[in-house]
Amino acid sequence: MKTELLKKALKRHKALKNEFKNTYVNDQNKATKPDVPAGLYEQCPSCKKNLNKKTLVVHHYVCDKCGHHFRLRALERILLTLDKHSFLEKGLGFITLNPLFQEGYEQKLETARKKSGNDDAFVYGYGEIEGEPCVLGVLDSHFMMGSMGSVVGEKVVKSAEYAMLKKLPLIIFSASGGARMQEGIFSLMQMAKTSSAIKELHEQGLLYISVLTHPTTGGVSASFATLGDIIIGEPGALIGFAGPRVIKQTIKETLPEGFQRSEFLKEKGLLDKVVHRKDMRIILSTLLQLHKPRNETNDNT
Amino acid sequence: MFQKVLVANRGEIAVRIIRSCRELGIETVAVYSTVDEDALHVHLADEAVCVGEAPAKASYLHMENIISAAINTGAEAIHPGFGFLSENAKFAELCESCNIAFIGPSSQVISDMGDKAKAKTLMRSAGVSIVPGSVGEITLEEGLALIKEMGLPVLIKASAGGGGRGMRIVRHESKFKTQYFAAKQEAAAAFSSDGVYLEKLVENPRHIEVQILADKYDTVLHLFERDCSVQRRNQKVIEEAPSNIDVSLRNQMYEAAIKAAKAVKYENAGTVEFIVTDNAFYFIEMNTRIQVEHPVSEMITNIDIIQEQLKIASGMRLLFTQESIKSQGHAIEVRINAENPVKNFMPSPGTVTFLHVPQGPGIRFDSMLYQDYTVSPHYDSMVGKLIVHASDRAHAISKMKSALEELITEGITTNQWFVWMIMNHQAYVEGSVDTSFIVKNIKKLIRYEN
Repeated sequence: MKTELLKKALKRHKALKNEFKNTYVNDQNKATKPDVPAGLYEQCPSCKKNLNKKTLVVHHYVCDKCGHHFRLRALERILLTLDKHSFLEKGLGFITLNPLFQEGYEQKLETARKKSGNDDAFVYGYGEIEGEPCVLGVLDSHFMMGSMGSVVGEKVVKSAEYAMLKKLPLIIFSASGGARMQEGIFSLMQMAKTSSAIKELHEQGLLYISVLTHPTTGGVSASFATLGDIIIGEPGALIGFAGPRVIKQTIKETLPEGFQRSEFLKEKGLLDKVVHRKDMRIILSTLLQLHKPRNETNDNT
Repeated sequence: MFQKVLVANRGEIAVRIIRSCRELGIETVAVYSTVDEDALHVHLADEAVCVGEAPAKASYLHMENIISAAINTGAEAIHPGFGFLSENAKFAELCESCNIAFIGPSSQVISDMGDKAKAKTLMRSAGVSIVPGSVGEITLEEGLALIKEMGLPVLIKASAGGGGRGMRIVRHESKFKTQYFAAKQEAAAAFSSDGVYLEKLVENPRHIEVQILADKYDTVLHLFERDCSVQRRNQKVIEEAPSNIDVSLRNQMYEAAIKAAKAVKYENAGTVEFIVTDNAFYFIEMNTRIQVEHPVSEMITNIDIIQEQLKIASGMRLLFTQESIKSQGHAIEVRINAENPVKNFMPSPGTVTFLHVPQGPGIRFDSMLYQDYTVSPHYDSMVGKLIVHASDRAHAISKMKSALEELITEGITTNQWFVWMIMNHQAYVEGSVDTSFIVKNIKKLIRYEN
């Protein structure tokens, strides 16, 4: 065919041209070589598509291809959830110690602190959602997997106490691997401590909304995270006490599809609702509005 | 100067850019979709990378694939051509962050000029005349006062709008009140904001644009203007330079275009578009890319605009002054599209079984066609541009006619005879056409068949 003739001829011409190609010095071998800078793209762990970081932020850190919800840092969560400039952090200045003298724990803490910029895995404070005041607490899974040690436990209790003091509803976003192993029994203690704080909150008739995000497991799921008056899950979040692999190996049976995932748990009645991240603000503000005490003025600041 | 440039486009413009690169000794990388495997630009380029499936969204518009192609082949710059990613600020930004030179202005300028409201505000503050109207939203009283000041007819437009919704034409002052509230209501329903603004309606204007070149060192030059008034559905059909409007008005337009470019710190080649009525001109938009009709300016000034683009992007200075650029003769360009004017301009893709291209002094045919090439239905129907250059307008028209008569593209139907009819139309020959010319004369213009 004529197309083939054209291709052949042009190829021949190119070869001829290359024979006379100048052997110029390539001055482009400097630092400005074209390349994709680190952090411009992120791979979706679920569908393996490369996502532009900027578009990802616009889409609330949710993959626009498959709907995978990325894990958030505490600050990102606060920015996504609360009104602009409404967050006032409380409970600063807690210091995490090494009560059981575990080797390497201090170092681990130090790197986690540097990476996240937080003292420990829990951040809480006063905030507003669509103008509705509340106390917001966020567990940061990027800080030692959001594990609950003495400081996290204490701060959760403090956040509940602060809510009681100000007569405000409490919202906690959980994302945790469970109790912090390095603190042993001190960590396990926090389960009882946080649970009793939530009970007190409940007795005072204040609303507690618990939002479970990927992953909420271990001691956290077995204490304050599942004690919410209303429990919301993010789509696809792993929620459970022991992980699916452990259960599978113990009971030696295949687990049903979607086991321990939000949608599965909603069906079984553990969760009240599975909420996409883009709707989270609207749902939370509606809930806050519905549960607002009537004929009472809140004097909170 | 760059060593290797990736051409992120297809068809005629890709071929055109590759040719200019070759002249400058730059290696080229072509990108293509699966249906364009046999396209001319793929075989002319030194290297070619397949970037995806036939739909433009999966290939020529797929930013990540194109950036990867550039990085993998070691191209230092990307020329976006026109259409596709050429006016995509996000793509320009992506190139910038990946250390690849985007041959065009900065992403900031692209996004500023892409936002029509923002572009107009910028131009107003730079002192470039824009279509008279209100500054921002108006109330009924303000609107009535403004009408008295600038006269009728006027357009009421929704501030949040687009696509003609919430738009009302007012020809009589008595109708203003009802139309004002109707527009407000429509805007509120469509865009959930009932703000409206007022603009003078410029009826059947002429469309004149000024080509500019700006380097990184604050030199801004113009390459005269182009008259693109012959349009069909906002698509230009015929372009020519110079235009036959008053010289003093032309000079004012050049000045305004340079002012506009300087106001936004423009860099690289661009076009400032104006609409012109009797003796006033108004800025409408700025195209931050090379345009389809750039050869017209090239013919009269003898400057290769694509080569200048490459030089500017690589950091070189413009090597000429405004005084040294001379406009010589008259150039006309017609777009040859694979479409059937008789059947309401229906696209007519197919295989070119025989091709004969007109030749001779002052005739240029920019195209990606060759014998046996199959015109794909997936993309734009333009298959080439026929450009002629002669000493004056009358000669250029007769040269264009004879060139069109010589052009043979067997196998596909083109608009060749439709544009030939325009060349023969009295109004066109007299040079008195405006943007409504084709709509008004369509019946006459497609009568060549019988």
